[in-house]
Amino acid sequence: MQIRVERLRVRYQDFELSVDNLLFSTNRVTALVGPNGAGKSTLLRALAGLIKPIVNSVFIDGLELARLRGWERAGLVSYVPQEHNAALNFSVFDFILMGRSGYLNIFSSPARADYQKVEEVISYLGLEALARRKCQELSSGERRIVLIARALAQDSKIILLDEPTTFLDLKHEMEVINLLRRLAADRAKTIITSVHSIDLIPRLADFLVMIKAGRILATGPTTEIFRAELLESLFDYPLRVVEAEGKQLILR
Amino acid sequence: MLMTGSQRKIENRRILYAAILLPLFLLIVSLCLGTLKVSLREVLEILLARISGEPAELLTTPSANIVLNIRLPRVLLALLAGAAFSVSGASLQSLFRNPLVNEYILGVSFGAGFGAAASLVLLSRNFPPQILAFTCGLLAVALVLVISEGARNTLVAVLLTGIIVSALFQALLSALEFIASPYALQSLFFWLLGSFSQATWSDLLWSVPLILAGLAFLLKMSWRINVLSLSDDEARSLGLAVKRERILVICLATLITSAVVAVAGIIGWVGLIVPHAVRGLVGADNRLVLPVSAGLGASLMVLADDLIRTLFPFEFPVGILTSLVGIPFFLYLIRRSRATWS
Repeated sequence: MQIRVERLRVRYQDFELSVDNLLFSTNRVTALVGPNGAGKSTLLRALAGLIKPIVNSVFIDGLELARLRGWERAGLVSYVPQEHNAALNFSVFDFILMGRSGYLNIFSSPARADYQKVEEVISYLGLEALARRKCQELSSGERRIVLIARALAQDSKIILLDEPTTFLDLKHEMEVINLLRRLAADRAKTIITSVHSIDLIPRLADFLVMIKAGRILATGPTTEIFRAELLESLFDYPLRVVEAEGKQLILR
Repeated sequence: MLMTGSQRKIENRRILYAAILLPLFLLIVSLCLGTLKVSLREVLEILLARISGEPAELLTTPSANIVLNIRLPRVLLALLAGAAFSVSGASLQSLFRNPLVNEYILGVSFGAGFGAAASLVLLSRNFPPQILAFTCGLLAVALVLVISEGARNTLVAVLLTGIIVSALFQALLSALEFIASPYALQSLFFWLLGSFSQATWSDLLWSVPLILAGLAFLLKMSWRINVLSLSDDEARSLGLAVKRERILVICLATLITSAVVAVAGIIGWVGLIVPHAVRGLVGADNRLVLPVSAGLGASLMVLADDLIRTLFPFEFPVGILTSLVGIPFFLYLIRRSRATWS
């Protein structure tokens, strides 16, 4: 399942995001990269249907995003926010269960099939030990994984993530990265994620979309466009990309 | 994991049964209490005779008259009022992601109180006061939400606007009292303090179906209310029509509250205390919180009314009692949640 952006314009206050002809395809992890305020989150939120663009010509496998009902969109696209501040302290299981909302009408509660889906997600991610704990007891790394689990319970082919590794320690950072790669490879998901730290990009993404001041600067496979000149002009800061033990590293 | 899940399910089911049985038990016991003592056995016989529908000599006795026409409507109204305030409180707290919110804070109580009073004073006594009570209750909560919308500190904004809108409706109420006839004034005064003492079957005719219908819909939506307690962005990305569903919950909560206020007056703070206690008992999941709050709220309200009927030699308004207990509890909650105020 792929997302094709024909024309997208989002405006708020004096910021404008303008994207034309962009394709996010299946089985790969696409990273949105750019300086703060470039429009990464805005693009994600527009694709998730959370904000109303002024021009919104976006197609998911030929379906026009703007014409989908909320629950229809939820079955195709899920959105993983950066943090979750719950007012109520749900159990992890009940929290993941909420991913099933799009399949249920306003007066119904989850049924057996929904519970089975959640159990499947929990065992796929190895979260059995967390399932009965309360969300507010979790570390921020665990909470990030649980947010992704909810998106998996939503069972959409496209998963949008807003800086999923920010504030995580090294181990949890790698856990999230490996999970996203696994989802793209084994589960045929279309993963689109904004990334704060460029050091992670070669390990995380197959494909890059560089955004600067609301415009696309460059797009392409990571192996081709993860280059010093482009990154320098993207961040307005001198840096070098070096190779060590077969991995690309940033020197600044 | 599945084992603990099913064990928890059984435990939850026990709590649910208790929440249904406790108010039923209290209903029967409360029918015995009062100036005229009626034995438990006699009460059961009267109820059975009434339900069977056959004319029995038992039903013509003074005790039967007191049990069926004075105590039964009063106790039923107390049960439904407790359930209504608690369920609407629990739903609104989830919806606003704020344990301090309740119908009293949101201006619904005084809005509905004004509406019902206006109906009694200005329109005919035969016109059901529930209609104006609901309209004005809805108007009050809409005012609070529109005025406080977009404020940076939403919690403080909602609380402050709620106080101001309540004050507005209190002023309108005072104006009504000023123009009301002395006769109307007396009953208005007592009704406003909150009391079940004047409940009659004809009062219940309108309120009971409204409360039961509102409760049924809110209970059907209990899982949905879980999802609505997430941030707007999260709920929307999960596929909810957030704004429409929020408005529906607010309308239902206002409906059941104002249906009670229209016949029993302003009884505050029950909807604050009960859901809080229930969450401590069963956790955050509204599929349990809502029905258990209904049962516990109904029970507490009947107990409060029983206390008043047996301890005081005169009719002490139950609304004063709940405020005297509820306000210190509110202050305690505010102190505990100080972190969210900064």
